[in-house]
Amino acid sequence: MSPANGGGRLTNPETSDVETAHGAPWRFALEGVRQALTGPAYFVAVALVGVGGLAKAAGFPPGVAFLSTLLIWAGPAQVLFFGAIAAKTALPAVALSVSLSSIRFVPMVLSVLPMLKRRDTRLSTLMIASHFIAVTVWAESLRRLPDIPRAVRLPFFFGFSITCVLVTGFFTLAGYYLAAVLPKPLAVGVLFLTPVYFLSTLVRGARSSIDWFALVFGLALAPLTQKFVGGGFDLLALGVVGGAGAYFAARAWDRRRDRAR
Amino acid sequence: MSLDLADGGLAPYLILIVFGFLPSEIWRWLSVGVARRLDEESPVFLFARTVAAVLLVGVVARLILTPAGDLASVPLAARLGALCIAGAAYLAFRKSVMAAVLAGEAAIMSAAYFFSG
Repeated sequence: MSPANGGGRLTNPETSDVETAHGAPWRFALEGVRQALTGPAYFVAVALVGVGGLAKAAGFPPGVAFLSTLLIWAGPAQVLFFGAIAAKTALPAVALSVSLSSIRFVPMVLSVLPMLKRRDTRLSTLMIASHFIAVTVWAESLRRLPDIPRAVRLPFFFGFSITCVLVTGFFTLAGYYLAAVLPKPLAVGVLFLTPVYFLSTLVRGARSSIDWFALVFGLALAPLTQKFVGGGFDLLALGVVGGAGAYFAARAWDRRRDRAR
Repeated sequence: MSLDLADGGLAPYLILIVFGFLPSEIWRWLSVGVARRLDEESPVFLFARTVAAVLLVGVVARLILTPAGDLASVPLAARLGALCIAGAAYLAFRKSVMAAVLAGEAAIMSAAYFFSG
């Protein structure tokens, strides 16, 4: 039996230092490691293989390819960073584009940390936890954390996310040496992994009407914003317009459903 | 101060930290301050979750509609077809993400093999 299911005996989720003093945090940290190794760690790792190749093409040493995953931990930002430097972009402009692409972490951090924190969680712990929040860990956290007792969510989260980061770091390093020799069908497979993995994770994790409306609005608006909003603002517009649309549509939907009952 | 990759030594690592790590990380740190004051039931939390989900779906949709690199050599219909196969496998194997990924990957790689002649 996995500890995730055994956690039901924690009657008060805000407990309990007595309970957690019996080695439970470590058990849940290991459970996080185990769950990461059942799939998510490898999916994100394979998705970042290409970043290693980019780092090499941009003229960086292998250590930077590896560290870029540990430090930046954001596929798109890493692609921008190495891609822009390979294209001889001025460094401040590189920093600006990297920063713009990482604005999307704001809603992710805002939606994961409240699930992790307890009243006595230190600021420094939250700062460190926030570093690991990127698309994969975000989507998987929303799906997995509700099954974990609150008292041991942080150890579970750290076990899960550190495993993802380390496995991905080594795959990035492997990509540094291998990317140029991948046959084309495999290279296509690597590029296709991100969309198919995230779409199925989102569908699997969808619990409320809000989650479903987010999927529908995102899919419907993506081609439109790309066509009609230019200048690098299309994703921002998509997030704000689509997010607000999905949020209010879901609330209206829930209200109608409640009234129908 | 001037940093250049060609300097070798620690320069590439400094460039990574100053122009890659810090500009990205700042958003996570800024968000922590706000997130500390939110709880799981608050509307701001739900709204943030929705915006993040829509953003992710949008990024994913673009990776399929206007892909970069070798994926662009596979026609749009085949990309969408591979996605449908992934969806069918997801349902057939009782909502398994792994089944969806494996089926979708098998489909897209076959398509890539076919269209590369």
